[in-house]
Parts: sequence; C-alpha cells; structure tokens
Amino acid sequence: MELKIRKSSNIYIIDIQGEMDLYNSYKLKDLVMKMLEKKVTKFIINLDKVEYIDSSGIGALIYICSTIKKMNLQLLVTNVHGSVKKVIELTKLMGYFPMAATVNDAIKNL
Amino acid sequence: MSNKMIIIDDKSNIFNTDGCFYKEFPSDLRQVRYFTLLIVQKAPPEIKELNLLEQQISELIKNAVKHGNKCDLNKKVKIWYFFSKEEARIIVEDEGKGFLKIREWNEFNKKRLQCLHEENFEELGNYVSYRTPESDDRDGGNAMFAALEYWNNGLVFTEKANKIGVSKKFPKNQRGIDIN
Repeated sequence: MELKIRKSSNIYIIDIQGEMDLYNSYKLKDLVMKMLEKKVTKFIINLDKVEYIDSSGIGALIYICSTIKKMNLQLLVTNVHGSVKKVIELTKLMGYFPMAATVNDAIKNL
Repeated sequence: MSNKMIIIDDKSNIFNTDGCFYKEFPSDLRQVRYFTLLIVQKAPPEIKELNLLEQQISELIKNAVKHGNKCDLNKKVKIWYFFSKEEARIIVEDEGKGFLKIREWNEFNKKRLQCLHEENFEELGNYVSYRTPESDDRDGGNAMFAALEYWNNGLVFTEKANKIGVSKKFPKNQRGIDIN
C-alpha cells in the first residue's frame, strides 16, 4: 500500500494505492494521527486506487472517521467503488462514512 | 430488520466434510493471505467476484491464527473447503480456547442492526467495532459483521467455539429467457 499526500488550499488529500489489508492498514491510521498533531482540519481520503480491502482496512477507516468526528473536524472519503464498495456494503457502513463521488466534489464540499 | 446471528450447533450440516478438500497451516500471521490464495485457487472463477471470496476466507483464517492460536507457530489451523458454481463452504478449526463471547457478540450485533434500521448514525458509532480486552490496534472489530452478511447460507460455531463453518449459495446463472 502506498500513501501520497497532496494539498488543495487548506484541504489535505490522501491518495491510497494498493491493498488495505491486515499488513498495511495501520500505516494510514498512523499518518492521519500525525496530520492531526500538525493541526490539519480538513481531510479527503481517496480510495480510487485501492484494489483490496479487508476488515483491518475498514477498521482503520472507522477509527479515523470516529476520531475526526469527535474532534469536529472534516473528512470526506471519495471514489468508493468495486470491491471496496462491496466490503463496506457488507458491513452496512455506506451511510456511516461521509462520502463524495470524486476528489473534486469533495473539495467543493469541504 | 435483519435478524441474522451466529448459530452454535455441533450438528449443523455445514460441518459435514464429505467431498471437501483439506489443508492445514501453521499459525503464521504473515502468511495468512498466501494460505488464503492456496485455498481460493480451487474455486471456479464465477464465484470469485471482486476478490470477495478471498477476502472473506482470509478473515476466517486470520481469526483462527490470531485470536484462536495466538500466532503460536506450533499450533495448526485446519481447513476443509468445498467450492462449486453454486456454493462455497469452509470449515476452519484452530487449537485455541474458542470464541467464548458468541452470545455477547450476537447481542452487540442486534443493537448495531437496530441502529442501522433506525438510521441512528450517532448511536451507530458505538456499535461499528466489536472489541474485547484482547483486541489490539490492528483489529478492525468488524470482520464478523460482514461475514454474517456474506455467508448467506449460515455461519455456525461448535459449542467449544474453536471451529467455524460457513456457507454461501450463489444464484444460478440465467441461461435463457423463459417464454410462456
């Protein structure tokens, strides 16, 4: 799994590529926690290039989402499709994660 | 509202190993995905939709390796499996003391489904991840919720609860159009 950060004004976009599985998912959690320490307030997590996700990956997203909600900061998850969408649907969390269709849509909404 | 739950039944048909393939693995967490691929390669392509079968089997093996056998390399995970175009069935047994909190988990899941039914996303936040004192940072706490949905033909534990059996039925392909 590869994580890349880019910026659009004060919004930080995390592009994830590869497999969000039991071996990798903690890296995303660690990265977001570090960004929170640096006072980032607006996040976009872009799942467009995620080829595989398991319960650890979903768990990382839940942890990030609940932490950001508790701190009253902003997060949008984008480009949820394919197997990622299927796995989120199995956990019935499509309504729990704040989502936007694309990164551009998310930028407009944050 | 969905009322799916984990069943405890030593005599369930899902535990019938007739015609199943069998493999056993050491409890090496680093190799869980590799072991999973060795199992899934026997499945016909029709039922491997979007890696979901692989992902769901990997969760079962991970649970056995990590929560059952506590990653003790001397302990084995035993797996029986059967695949056809219409069904996937897996039985996974570990040498641990069993998933002793099934009833508690079912109660937790009932509350989760209630929140979903009422679209109470505020309260749902308390039920998105099932955790025990033994859970660690890398446990998502959501694998069994998805498993119960995916394995639509049953998810059963033995009374000792160190053995899980799951089954999924796949719809038969429509091969033609019925004309009256």
